[in-house]
Amino acid sequence: MLNYPAKIYRQAMVVLDSSSKPPDASASPYKTVQLQLSATGFMDDMPTETLILTTFSSVPVIWESELRQQEYQELGAALGEMTKLEEGDEWKIDPPVYNAACYIAAGLMVHSFPAPRIFNHGTKSVVFNWSYGADNMYLTISADHISTLISSPERIKRRVEYSLNELTDPSTALLSVRAFLKKPVQRLVSGAVTDPTEFVG
Amino acid sequence: MRCGGYIPDGDSLFRQSVYPVSFKGRAFAREKCLKLYEQDDGSLLASLTWERYAPTEELIHSYGCRLAFRRNEKKRAEGKLKDKDRQVYCGAYELKGKAIRALATSDELDEVLSADVVHHVEEGEIAHTDLRIVLKPGSLNIDGTKTAIVDRLWSGCSGPLRHTCDCDRGMVEHPSSSLITAPAGDYSDIRPYWLRLWCIVRFQICNWLWRNNFWSR
Repeated sequence: MLNYPAKIYRQAMVVLDSSSKPPDASASPYKTVQLQLSATGFMDDMPTETLILTTFSSVPVIWESELRQQEYQELGAALGEMTKLEEGDEWKIDPPVYNAACYIAAGLMVHSFPAPRIFNHGTKSVVFNWSYGADNMYLTISADHISTLISSPERIKRRVEYSLNELTDPSTALLSVRAFLKKPVQRLVSGAVTDPTEFVG
Repeated sequence: MRCGGYIPDGDSLFRQSVYPVSFKGRAFAREKCLKLYEQDDGSLLASLTWERYAPTEELIHSYGCRLAFRRNEKKRAEGKLKDKDRQVYCGAYELKGKAIRALATSDELDEVLSADVVHHVEEGEIAHTDLRIVLKPGSLNIDGTKTAIVDRLWSGCSGPLRHTCDCDRGMVEHPSSSLITAPAGDYSDIRPYWLRLWCIVRFQICNWLWRNNFWSR
């Protein structure tokens, strides 16, 4: 006979970006944690700042960068596989393109940008793509060149070209990415429950 | 009545989506659906289907089924056909001639000298049409240009018109289910009934003329 769980608890997880200060675990039982209302629903009625009781200190806090590392590991693996495809495969890229793409991806990861979708036009370039609402941003990366493009359904909003010299310092090319993505400061993500803890708000 | 000739701005053209060419794994890759091939003269080329010679959805899809079949037969003849790479026609997306020609005057696409669609019978297909884009000489980064062009063309697409060819009806999970709705929304045939009838009659006449060598190939 199956034993169904008697109680089910929600477990929140706080994801902080690199500029955030982690909650002080050594202070009084009452902790103040600044939260942004999330899309998870159950936080809808909570004020922006609230006193959280001791039990909330069991909420795991992770850096957004840890989430990003996983995404970029998968991106790196995908790019690596693209270099190993057979000649004539639609998704094959040349090793110098792989190197340039990894260099740009490393810069994106350091700044905790979400990992992009990727595609290519042939072996000579790979394209990083992000969607934000109906708008799109593309980085077309070849061995010695980057093209950035931001578009809406109606028109191309912005295009900038960067040559090999500018490639040595990717932060210039990433300025467009930062402006396009408009990252939020914090967000709440519901995580898996290991030790069920009654959530008190 | 003319067979062939200039493709009006308001005419519909269709881009067939074939698995695995337009896919990444099992997921539809919109960027691969509109693949542009570089020509020796520096221009970019893609193939489309002209509605004038595929005036019904049935004819659009039969074109796509023949396309996938021909590619599979070619691979089979070369001894390179693998089951996992077998081409499967999934459906088509619609573009207007006007949206293609607008590339030449699009903001931030200064390197495009001209963009046009030209009727060009190919491999026995009367509906085959070339999408030809001519770039200014010395264009700096052709792949960046391709990204911009593919983005603009996709934004003007509507559809998909999904289809399963008879030879693929036994597939457990047909890849056409992965096709996504194009930015311009679902396809809608806005031609009035009488116009559709006329298009079908015109197609039948031109097709007969062409197949009986009364019309220059």
